[in-house]
Amino acid sequence: MKRKLWKKMIEPYLWLLPAFVLFAVFTFIPFVQTIYKSFFIVDTLGQLRRFVGLENYTYILGDQVFVKAIVNTLWYVVLTVPISKILGTVLAFLANRRRTTSFIYETAFSVPMAMASSVTAMIFQLLYVPSLGFINGFFGLDIQWLNDPKIAMISIAVIQIWLSTGYAFIFMLSAVRSVPDDVVESARMDGAGPVRMLLRIYLPLTTPTMFYLIITDLSYSMMMMSFVSVLTGGGPQNATVTIMYYIFQQISATGNYTNANPAAMIAFLMTFAATLLGFFWEKKGVHYQ
Amino acid sequence: MRKNAKWSLLLQAVCLFLAFLMLFPILYAVSVSFMEQKAVLSSPPHFLPPKVTFENYMTALTRTTLGRYMINSAIVALVCSFSRVILATMTSFAFAFMEFKGKRVLFLLALSTMMIPPDVLIVSNFATISRIGLVNTYAGICSVFLVSASNIFMLRQHFLTFSRSLQEAAYIDGCGNLRFFFSILLPTSRPVITTVFLSSFVSVWNQYVWPMLVTNRNELRTIQVGITMLKDRESSVFGPVMAGVVIALVPTVLLFVIFQKNIVAGMMSGAVKE
Repeated sequence: MKRKLWKKMIEPYLWLLPAFVLFAVFTFIPFVQTIYKSFFIVDTLGQLRRFVGLENYTYILGDQVFVKAIVNTLWYVVLTVPISKILGTVLAFLANRRRTTSFIYETAFSVPMAMASSVTAMIFQLLYVPSLGFINGFFGLDIQWLNDPKIAMISIAVIQIWLSTGYAFIFMLSAVRSVPDDVVESARMDGAGPVRMLLRIYLPLTTPTMFYLIITDLSYSMMMMSFVSVLTGGGPQNATVTIMYYIFQQISATGNYTNANPAAMIAFLMTFAATLLGFFWEKKGVHYQ
Repeated sequence: MRKNAKWSLLLQAVCLFLAFLMLFPILYAVSVSFMEQKAVLSSPPHFLPPKVTFENYMTALTRTTLGRYMINSAIVALVCSFSRVILATMTSFAFAFMEFKGKRVLFLLALSTMMIPPDVLIVSNFATISRIGLVNTYAGICSVFLVSASNIFMLRQHFLTFSRSLQEAAYIDGCGNLRFFFSILLPTSRPVITTVFLSSFVSVWNQYVWPMLVTNRNELRTIQVGITMLKDRESSVFGPVMAGVVIALVPTVLLFVIFQKNIVAGMMSGAVKE
């Protein structure tokens, strides 16, 4: 009887064990390690050498490439997050009412969700070819999309906007469609025009979804490095180095964990700050039903 | 009424045009994959191939290791999706049906993993993987994708809606936890498990950064990493590369189009407020 009781007590933990071992090994421990190790000089095998306090942080913040990476990353976030949300929302409103051909354009709008970043990067590389590439050729332009330091980051942002518009669309579509009919009906009875309906009914009632999209996209785009790695290698003149790409270069090229750990922490803190700002905004403006 | 119908037609036309714009990069890639080399970069640019050729696919499949990349991706995506399904069902079973000390804390702990972007962890994880010698192995590639908290969250929500009376009846009939799990809970949850599996498959198949970091031997590259190696930045042989791109995107795009409802539900599960 006693054995049975004991078995009953530990059984739930056995069901949880495999998942939590993985969480521990690949999420919790590495997270704590990254914080801890960011205060040390670390050798190429990741072993601690010497405690240096905040020196690693002051060192990389004095590194021009890293500062550039922070600025580039923020610029990229500012370019991609709002535009993709706006486009996704506009498409969701256009597609709101179900019509005969709905299934075609609903699928088309959301298909980018299923695309991998590297494959997408390869397609845009072809579109962006300066001499005889499709975009320059079709519009008669002569723009160095990926080779001009002023434009390269914008060109990369366009790829991300394409990818996340599909994502925003599918979420906003379901949000817009779940606005209750009686609310829409009674507003219409009160004589609200389309613009008023949009501003007074649809936008406020879909803010929780918008909030979720912005929060997830902020932390996602803060971490971008795939397009840079495929398309520009950080160039021209470090114009497209992002924080994650800087980290990637540190560990893959030279095994420099001394720089990589504090850089990863700064990336995390920036994401965290953005998320907090998001929650602050949520308190003020998001309506849950 | 007639005005309404006209308006609807116009709106559909606009939407279909926008749909074409949205799909344009994909359609163009498909088109280029059937173009002869000289038609790809030409003035004026061609949207459709002037002459259809299958040469690019022949080159991509015979002269490169694309096939190997696809097999690697399939192995990694399948292993990780199965693992995610198994671990998520086990974990959410405990969270939804059992009472134990620390349940709330452990559940929040599991959810908290969604707050830490996985990219922040690649520095430490890469150090771990290289220390235990898993660089250039399938285990190394799969390691960080084996469990996902959003799947746990989704399945738990689903299990909580499972009929209490049915569960109690099963237990009164002497059905143990294991039997309940395998012969009642799993079979009745097939739709939501399919959703978890499909959304995991698409997301793992599309991974790029981690697989690139932990492999440097060609035979172990996944398709997303391998595809970028088919062409160096300066050359202009785009035909075979686009054939490779099309081959790489077909599995996930096809899965997405066919199982759109399931996959979208899976991706949205994290967004549901309790």
